[in-house]
This record gives sequence, C-alpha cells and structure tokens, in this order.
Amino acid sequence: MLDLRLTRAARPAVQLRRLLVAAASAGTGFLLLSCLGYALKRPEAAGSAALRLAWCVVPVAATVYLALAVARTDPGTRPRPGLSAIGLGPARLMAVSSLVTALSTTLGSLVALSLFLHLRGDLTGLPFDGAGASFLAAGKSLPLAATLTLLAVVPVVATVAVALALRPSDPRPVVRPQRRYLPFVRQAGGPAAGGPAAGGRTGEVEAAGGGGAAGKGTPAAAAPAGVIDPRFTSPSLTDKPDDEGAGDTPAGLPWAVALVAAGLTAQAYAGRTPPTPAFTFTTVPTGAGFFLLGWLLTAVGLVLAAPGLTHLCGRLLQCARPGALRLLAGRGLMAEATRIGRPLGILCAVTAAGYAVTTLYDSPGRPFGPLSALGALVVAGCAFATLLTVAVETRQGRAETTDALLRLGAPATVLRGAAALRAFALLAFFAPLTLAIAALAAFPLTR
Amino acid sequence: MEAPPDNDVLWARSLHFTHPDGSPGLAGVSIAVREGEILAVSGPRGSGKTTLLRCLSGLEPVREGEVWFNSTPLHTLGPAHRERLRRDRFCWIGPEPGLVPELNAWENAALPLMLRGTSRRRAKTTALEWLERLDIGEAARKRPHRLRQSERQRVSIARALAPAPTVLFADEPTAPLHRADRGHVLRTLTSAARSHGITVVLATHDPETAALADRTVNLLDGRPVRTVHLPEIPDAEGRAACSISV
Repeated sequence: MLDLRLTRAARPAVQLRRLLVAAASAGTGFLLLSCLGYALKRPEAAGSAALRLAWCVVPVAATVYLALAVARTDPGTRPRPGLSAIGLGPARLMAVSSLVTALSTTLGSLVALSLFLHLRGDLTGLPFDGAGASFLAAGKSLPLAATLTLLAVVPVVATVAVALALRPSDPRPVVRPQRRYLPFVRQAGGPAAGGPAAGGRTGEVEAAGGGGAAGKGTPAAAAPAGVIDPRFTSPSLTDKPDDEGAGDTPAGLPWAVALVAAGLTAQAYAGRTPPTPAFTFTTVPTGAGFFLLGWLLTAVGLVLAAPGLTHLCGRLLQCARPGALRLLAGRGLMAEATRIGRPLGILCAVTAAGYAVTTLYDSPGRPFGPLSALGALVVAGCAFATLLTVAVETRQGRAETTDALLRLGAPATVLRGAAALRAFALLAFFAPLTLAIAALAAFPLTR
Repeated sequence: MEAPPDNDVLWARSLHFTHPDGSPGLAGVSIAVREGEILAVSGPRGSGKTTLLRCLSGLEPVREGEVWFNSTPLHTLGPAHRERLRRDRFCWIGPEPGLVPELNAWENAALPLMLRGTSRRRAKTTALEWLERLDIGEAARKRPHRLRQSERQRVSIARALAPAPTVLFADEPTAPLHRADRGHVLRTLTSAARSHGITVVLATHDPETAALADRTVNLLDGRPVRTVHLPEIPDAEGRAACSISV
C-alpha cells in the first residue's frame, strides 16, 4: 500500500509522463491487435500478416524505451534517505518502479483492447458504418489466448526492462588499464576518465605510481620510478585531456559513421534496380531486402553516432576562449553527451525514416493507411517524449550544480541562456544532418 | 532608520527568522561585523548558524529585523538586487565544495570572475594565482572528480577569494575534512583573508576553529549568548539505566 501511496502522491508533470506511457502502450497494443485482426480476416495471407507483426517491433521498442526513460525520471521511485531508513531501499524502489510501469502499460493495453472491441462492434454495434471491418475481422470470434499474449507483450517487456535497468548495483571501482602514453594510443581519446555522468563507471581510483608501472603518470608519481620516458608523462601531455573535458568522450563515433555510410551504400546499391512492384510496408518484394538492410544500418549508425556528435557539438560550443555562458553550455553538453545523445539519435533516425517513408508514399497509387499513420504517430511521439523526459532527467541530475551556481550569485539569465544555447546548438547541428541523411536515404527511391 | 557606523561592514539588528515550515530559526540576533575582521559564529548544530549566514548574505529574505551592508538595507531589497550584491560583493563557501563537475579547477575558480564580466584571460590569471597561493597549482587542470576532498575544498576557497569579495561567508568550511587537512585549509583561508583585508563570517561548531577568529559570537537556539555551557546533567546514579517509559 505504501508503494501505491508513493506513486499517487506525485506532481501533475509526473502523472502526465505516466499517462504518456499509457497512451503509447495503448497505441502499440492497438497495432498488435490490428495485426491479429488482419490475420483472422485473411488466413491465407500468412506471410503478409507476419510482416505486419514484424513491423510492430518498432512501436514496441519505442514504447519500452519511453517507459524506461519515464521510470528513470520518476522522483517517487528514486532512492531517498528517509525511505531507505525504513527499509525501502533501492531494491524495493526498483520493484515499485516496475510495478508503476506495469500498471501504466497495462492500463494502456486495456484501453487498446476496449477500443478494439468497440470498433469491431463486440460491445455496441459496429461504428462508422463498418469502415474498419477489413482489418478488425468483425464478425469472427477473437481467440482469447492470442489476444492476451499480444496485449501482454508491452507490459511484460517494459516491466522487465525497467527492473533490469534500475536494479541496484554497487559502484564498481574501475580497474584502470595500464596505459602507455604512446602517440597512437593518445590520439584515440586520451585517458578515458569515468566521469560522474558516465553511468556505471564511478569511483575513479587514483592508482598513481603502482610500482613502476606506467599507471597514472602524474609527474610527481612517475618521476621516482625512473623508467618512464619523461616525454610521455610531462604535465602538458597528461593534463591536457582534462583541460578540454575529454575525460568522458563517448566511444564508437567512427564505427557509427561507418555504419551510416554502409547503410547508405547498401541503399544506393539496391537503388540501381528499383523493385518493380509497389514497395510498401505490407508488401516487400524480394529485391527490397537491401533497402531494408540499408535503412536498418543507417538508423543504428545514427543512434550510435549521436552521443559522439553531441559531445563534438559541446566541444565546438566551448572552443576558442569561451566566456561563462559558452563554457557552461558547452561543457554541460559534453558531460551529458551520452545521456542526451541516445534519445536524440533515435529521434533523428525516426525523423529520417519518416522523411524517407513520406517520399516513398508520395505517389497517388499508394495511400498512407490509418494503421501506418497510427504506427508512425506512436513511434515519433515516443521518440520525442523520450527526448523531453531525458531532458528533465538531465535537469534533475544537475540540480545540485545549479544550486551551487545560484549560491555563487550566477544570474538566472545565464543559466537559462546556457540551456537555450545548448538546445539551439543541438538543433542547428542535428537538423541539417538528419535532413541530409534522410535525403540521401530517400534518393534511390525517387529516381 | 539610521545607517550603521562606518567601520561596520555588515550589521544585523533584532533579526528574527522562522523557517517556511514554522520551525524557529533566529530569535532576535543583533551583531555587527567590522571591516577586515574574522568573526566566528559558533554554537552547536541546529543553533541557527547557517540560517544567520544565509540571512546576512541575502540568500533568505529577511522579514523581521534589519540587515545592513555598507549602508545598503538588505532587508528592503528584492531578490534580483540581492543576487547582484551576492555576485559582486559576497562570496560563499559551504561544507560541500559545490564545484561545477564539468569544469576543471581553474575554470571553477575563475567562474565568478567571468560571471562578473571579467575577460577570460584576466580571470584565468587571477584564478591560477589563487590556486598557486592555496597550494593546488599543479591540480589546476584536473576536474573535480579527480581531486581529493580537501583539494576540492581549497578550490572552492580559491573560487570564493579570487573575485576579491568584500565579505566572505564560510559555513562550516572544514566539516568533511580530517584534522590535518582541516588545519591546513583553515590557515590558508584565514591568512589569505587577513592579507587581503577580506571580512570573513565563519560559522563553526568547533572551538579550535573559532580560536583562529578575531571575535566569536556564540549562538544557542537562535539567540546570541555569552556562553554555550549548559547546566550539568544531574548525577544519573539510582536511575534505571535504559528506562524510556517514564
């Protein structure tokens, strides 16, 4: 009961976020049930029905990601000293979080079920003159087990994901790999110090010296060892990465760029001979495999590249003798690159895919159906809501820093200006990039 | 309403404060801080030291009583004016260093100067000078999570001293440190303040810390008192050892 009281006594913004999860879950559940309806209506077209079901993976993933972000931001389920004192520690709060997620997603699934039944005419007569009868399989009895299984997908996956993501874990001391400050090692990001924002990596243990091993290599500790080339341990070399805030550079930017390039190449290759039959979501001709592979690679590459690009964006923002405003904005962006970058990358990928799909469906012969529209709405809405939720999470995480700055007498305009500058920089950097990639992805289709 | 005498830089008269939840904070505190002195506000935990410092520095609005800073009535100023005063004239050191995690040590120390509009080059020079003076010059390019607590606290002191404030508020600046670090931090703080003529209001519950100050004001339950010695607890002999059910 205490658990539920914790969830009930939340501010409207928190309840709104939970409602968003419920709405996303409802949309996804309705899409899944529509697949079932299609399969019931046309038992002979099993391949097409399976393809429709496979496309539902995208909204399911988007919904689960949103649920995860909302659960992370939920202030009611964060470990608090007062609750920990009465035995409601991180483990129990993880359970509460999962419970809240399960409740909101199940609520969404129930809404989807009742809407589906209503549209089928099971509850009242068939509405809208039976316009939706084609994909709702009106008149045929609904198999109970299949319905329940499909409706349980989102709640189960979301609950498990939240439980896994929020499970309590002790901070592990990072065993610093022995680094030799060789030139070719150094250019790959320098000492990757686990910053406080870098998730699981905490507790940077200063293992300087270490019996002559080239451990940290601070000048004072390295000098007595006497075996290290002083060239590699001079202060200008060891200290520079910290100066630039390069401690927590997100890795994998080169791989991500390679993925995007490979994806675009695959699409261009597939585009040499455009598939002659109509290529839509529900009928994929055999030659379109490369297209889908290319889109997948491009999307994954964008998602992986976004943290690194966000970091780069922050670095550009604070380069060349920054004042207080640019320094705070740029360094903040660099510190939060991983957290902000991932949902931003997902939003970019969704936007690019939306652009390409719009191009694809732009001909009069292939209208954009209501279910595709619902799916697109769910995915885009989830991506956008996730980004906003993560922005809220970032603000919560920086509350202490903000307090310290305000105590210093930093004007609120500077803090707001820094936040606005960050948002503007991200928009200015990612909007053209997304549009360019979307145009490149859609190019083979429009030739 | 008369202005305070000239040699008092900060001045409070019959200051009352009640926290928003209704718990009592200060009950009629009148103190005067002279220019360039180090005033220790001493007392046990919960005696209103931090509240007094927050009221004096303009972090809390004063509703009852008066606070004057150099013939400026703080109790009549709005939040924006108090914020500017805090930025331009005051500095604050808390028990936690409160550094910005993504900036390195010298950038943290230079931040108040930059917020006041000083050029980056001058702010950097001043910050590095202060870090040298406080004996953490070689850590100037490290970020806070790679410094030890005492080093972070010294960066925080450098940050407070670099803009040359008129009044420096130090609220238990050595609370999380061991005794050796504590002595070092306090000596650097007091000597720097004395050599630069900075007025310091230092809240502490530690008599050793208070001994470094020019003058000590003892607080008890939100009131200034001459002595904080409470009456001796009567002899416990003859009482049941663990009886809480009286």
